[in-house]
Amino acid sequence: MSKRGSSFKRKSLAFLSVTLAAVLLVTGCTSGGGSKQNAADFSIEGRYTPDPNTPAWKLDTKEEVTELTWYVNADWWNTDFGNDVVTKKIKEDLNIHINFITGDDTKLNTLFAGDQLPDIITTFNGNSQLAKKANTWALPLNDLADKYDPYFYQVAAEDTLKWFQLEDGKTYTYPNYSNTQADYDSGYIPAKTAFVIRKDVYEALGKPEMGTPEQFEAVMDQIKQRFPDLLPFGFNAVGTGTGSLGDVFQDFLGVPLEDENGNFYNRNLDEDYLTWIATLNRVYRNGAISDDSFADDGTAFEEKVKSGKYATMLLDGTPQQGGNLQIWMSANPGKEYIAIDGPQSTEGRKPTLNQSGISGWMVTFITKNVKDPAKAIQIFTYLLSEEGQMLMNYGIEGETYKKNPDGTVELLPEVKAMQMNDADRYKKEYRMGEFMFFGHDRHKALSKDSFPESIKQMQEWGRGKLKGHFILENTNPDPGSAEARSLSAIETEWSTTLVSMIRAKSDEERENALNNYRKFLDENNWDSIVKIRSEKMQANKEKLGL
Amino acid sequence: MGKSKAVNSGGKKPMGRRMKEFVVDFGRQWELQSMILPGVVFMIIFCYIPIYGLTIAFKHYTVIDTLDSAPWVGLENFRIILEDKFFWESVVNTLAISFLKLGIGFVIPIILAIMIYEVSNKRFKRFVQTISYLPHFLSWIVLGGMLITWLSTTGLFNQILLWLGIISQPTNILLDPSKYWWIATLSDIWKEAGWGTILYLAVMATIDPTYYEAAKIDGASRLRQIWHITIPNMRMIISLNLILTISGLLGSNLDQTLVLMNSQNRSHAEVINSYVYRMGMTQGDFSYATAVGLGVSIVSVILLVVANKITSKLNDNQSVL
Repeated sequence: MSKRGSSFKRKSLAFLSVTLAAVLLVTGCTSGGGSKQNAADFSIEGRYTPDPNTPAWKLDTKEEVTELTWYVNADWWNTDFGNDVVTKKIKEDLNIHINFITGDDTKLNTLFAGDQLPDIITTFNGNSQLAKKANTWALPLNDLADKYDPYFYQVAAEDTLKWFQLEDGKTYTYPNYSNTQADYDSGYIPAKTAFVIRKDVYEALGKPEMGTPEQFEAVMDQIKQRFPDLLPFGFNAVGTGTGSLGDVFQDFLGVPLEDENGNFYNRNLDEDYLTWIATLNRVYRNGAISDDSFADDGTAFEEKVKSGKYATMLLDGTPQQGGNLQIWMSANPGKEYIAIDGPQSTEGRKPTLNQSGISGWMVTFITKNVKDPAKAIQIFTYLLSEEGQMLMNYGIEGETYKKNPDGTVELLPEVKAMQMNDADRYKKEYRMGEFMFFGHDRHKALSKDSFPESIKQMQEWGRGKLKGHFILENTNPDPGSAEARSLSAIETEWSTTLVSMIRAKSDEERENALNNYRKFLDENNWDSIVKIRSEKMQANKEKLGL
Repeated sequence: MGKSKAVNSGGKKPMGRRMKEFVVDFGRQWELQSMILPGVVFMIIFCYIPIYGLTIAFKHYTVIDTLDSAPWVGLENFRIILEDKFFWESVVNTLAISFLKLGIGFVIPIILAIMIYEVSNKRFKRFVQTISYLPHFLSWIVLGGMLITWLSTTGLFNQILLWLGIISQPTNILLDPSKYWWIATLSDIWKEAGWGTILYLAVMATIDPTYYEAAKIDGASRLRQIWHITIPNMRMIISLNLILTISGLLGSNLDQTLVLMNSQNRSHAEVINSYVYRMGMTQGDFSYATAVGLGVSIVSVILLVVANKITSKLNDNQSVL
């Protein structure tokens, strides 16, 4: 090969290679760098003077549109903004534009590692390490409210703010669907647990009592005899947990949340509860609990609910099963599931059903990188206010909903029709009930359309049976600690033990399983876990002022 | 690996001279050589720099920390692993299921491939191939759901066993821990055996037909032909597959486990991968999960090297890697 002859070729080849390498290097690095905004020299001078009795968004005279980047830690979040009734109104009222970005934990970690925090961050775990160390990366809501929008205190729940307080006495986040004691007392949050029985079965058996273990056993036997096609007793999918047979059943029987001294109480070893587990074991041995119920996954369980396969169920999460129950009910009138008192404490305790607690669901933070902290806290205030809550749930009065004389709220017929028949278009044009940052059950209760017909009787039955489990919230040892690892092992062991106890072939086998669990507790650091939990329960009580 | 072999293939020259030749050769071909640069850069950025993240196995890392700010804890995480009962349970299950899969699942595709190869009816051959590939394209989520139904008290297997009179009372087979290893192994073979034949069939298609003609003339039977022509020609690909399978011994199927595991069979179902997933993603114990992952990778590399050594001994000292 002659060197001279191929010189042109060689040069272009060299050029190509170098360009390629350069492009790759440059594109690989563009995500680095970037400037960091500083909130310290931000001021609202010339815009407005904060007033404790007026929301700041009504005072703010900033003319240019404020652009905010808002990260939501869920891939399914709809990133559209300003095109539907709900977000268009928010956009107009607050004079903002929100650029939503979404992702999963990996992306969130990358944002943190790269120091590229957006203005606002929403995650789904108020007890994560991220939330616990929020003082390193987020701005305290108290400071923001004091400085820019004191009206915030009028719309935020004091208990909730206190609950999320970090050690420095400040609160960095606010949740949605957070229920305080006041909410529990008010009666507008519906129960989500019920012991249900198919109406036709119940009536055919002459509406029997099944409160005591003996009665329960007898009724299960009768069902097995008279309805051989049905599975007498069912419960939520167990998977590698306990389905509705663990703490849900304990709540149903009213097993105490703490011991007499206000310390941690191992509810799994409660005598009352264990008596009922022994009953379930006998029922199993009589053939009234199917083995499949322990192996079914969520989908298989839902199939059985949909097709009315179970005669009775201890059902947790009735709103989630509402659709399936409705399918069964609509196709089989008179055979619908109804809630009855069902198994009851042998010691005369009353049910203490659980609902979503004070920790809520989605938690939202304003980061230290925020460009306009005043606008950010205004968004919190706006969405938390009565106005914002109604907007998120029902849209605009007269345009999408109307108020009835009895205080309930109803979507206008054409809006309702679109919601039923063209859900996709409804989401695009209205988006009510979906933009739920800071949403609350209180406003859901205003409308009859919030829950399907099939579970209304169950919710009615649960009235007055709820009891907040606040003292038990976030009492687990911190992730990564030796105790957390032990606890995870213990919980794993418990789910195996519980199912083994119910499936035991003899009383002796059942006792053995329980004794093994007791032994496992002793071998796995149980004492220090109890100590940590008791301490955290104490701290909870202080926070809640109990 | 292939490149270093090519450079070394020039016999045993003194080191200095080899270096010099290398530099001269490289200088002459630098345009061509530089084309590999983007690839190298790509590898460095996406494969080598992230390795730095493994340091969290020796740290007490939480999400809020950066890789640098997390405190060092030395071998603490590894010490905890060694004491962890559930970890060892998962190791036993992983090895048991992997060896069952290796023992049975490795031979079946070879036999199946030979059988398909020997079928002379083209239509029937296609039909068998399509049918046997089919389960491969279904995800474990779907297949797992099917298996849960089939193994339930009213499912396919119980019906067959009842009909045959082997059992009198239906039981849920998936709840029985002692049967889980077999369920995992056999369902995996059912899913992957057909797909596993593809490589073998491709190699068999390259065997020179004159071998078979010569053998026929010499009066060799069908089985003799398979034994003396087909199998020896497949030796290389079989050993390559074996090496890859052995190096993956500790990586039992995660999706399969997550779908089929329940609270009763867990003692026999939890594998290392699902355990790492549970500790890392569910418990948020990233350091611990990384430590397990790192340990598994090291053992896997050792297995790979050992398997390569052994098969190359068996293959007249020719390494397939």
